[in-house]
Amino acid sequence: MTGSKHPGRKSMENLSKLLAEDIMSASDEDLLAEFTESGGDPNAEAERLRALFEASIVKANKSRLAAARAGAAANRNAPRFSTACSPQDARQRLRSVLNRPGIPQRLTLAARKENELSDADVLGMLDDLRDLGLLPEEDDLA
Amino acid sequence: MNPASAANVLSRDEIASAIRGLSDANWIRLRKVADRYSRGRIEANDLLQEAFTRALDTRTCPAHVSVVKFLAEAIRSIADGIGEKVENRLVLVPVAKTGGDESEAFNVPDTDPDCETRLIEAEAADTFRGAMLELFTDDPVARDIVEGTMEGMEAEELRELTGLDMTGYATKRRLIRRRIDKAFPEGWKP
Repeated sequence: MTGSKHPGRKSMENLSKLLAEDIMSASDEDLLAEFTESGGDPNAEAERLRALFEASIVKANKSRLAAARAGAAANRNAPRFSTACSPQDARQRLRSVLNRPGIPQRLTLAARKENELSDADVLGMLDDLRDLGLLPEEDDLA
Repeated sequence: MNPASAANVLSRDEIASAIRGLSDANWIRLRKVADRYSRGRIEANDLLQEAFTRALDTRTCPAHVSVVKFLAEAIRSIADGIGEKVENRLVLVPVAKTGGDESEAFNVPDTDPDCETRLIEAEAADTFRGAMLELFTDDPVARDIVEGTMEGMEAEELRELTGLDMTGYATKRRLIRRRIDKAFPEGWKP
């Protein structure tokens, strides 16, 4: 450990690991007996930790919800093709996107009829593709 | 993730369900692991909560790994990460402005600890080391194992050093853990 910048921390980490290995290999009976011997109530402690876990789930779900909300808000605030792109440019972008592999066949059928689509339809399709996450980032209007 | 590899890892719901199904003994096991890794830098409860959150949302649990082992490993990784973060954090130091309205520039100092930090760390390490070894003055073999472990020796090297076989080593390791548990029931607090 002489090469370590923080030998003190490494000592603690190494010893903690040894102790944790022993805890992991101890039998259920031994662990419960030790806990009781030290004045603890295993059942009450397990209940407390179960409650801690349920609280963690609520916290994690709230974080996921907040992230989803932030993502949705960012999406709503993103510039729309319908207002930020010329119709000619939009048609070219739509053609290049729909020609990429992995785009659903239903959409590529629409591309064949592109000449029949109005400018507004083309711009709307680009907006829809982006909302669906089918528009590669380099084609986005960031 | 392809379907084959997805089948080999537990889903979020499967992990949650496995955790809910833990026995009292396994909850106590996790609590003890968290106590050992808390090391005065984070509370055991916070370590456990962070491990639960990561288990559900960011870490991948292979289907063949027990959820207790998976959580114990997450606890270790979080605790070691906190230690590294505290000691390697960058302190941004503003440099003197030389004029103009541009925003203030910052120097990023060397991440090597300075002399004062080294002294403080060395003192803390000595205190920790002394407190641990002090517990085994009556048992030179246990003391050698504790000292060797702190120096980074692996189990095989320690068995060679002490002449213990696998069973003897496991018994001695149990004695060491119980004695440290008794002396520092909620983990080392400097």
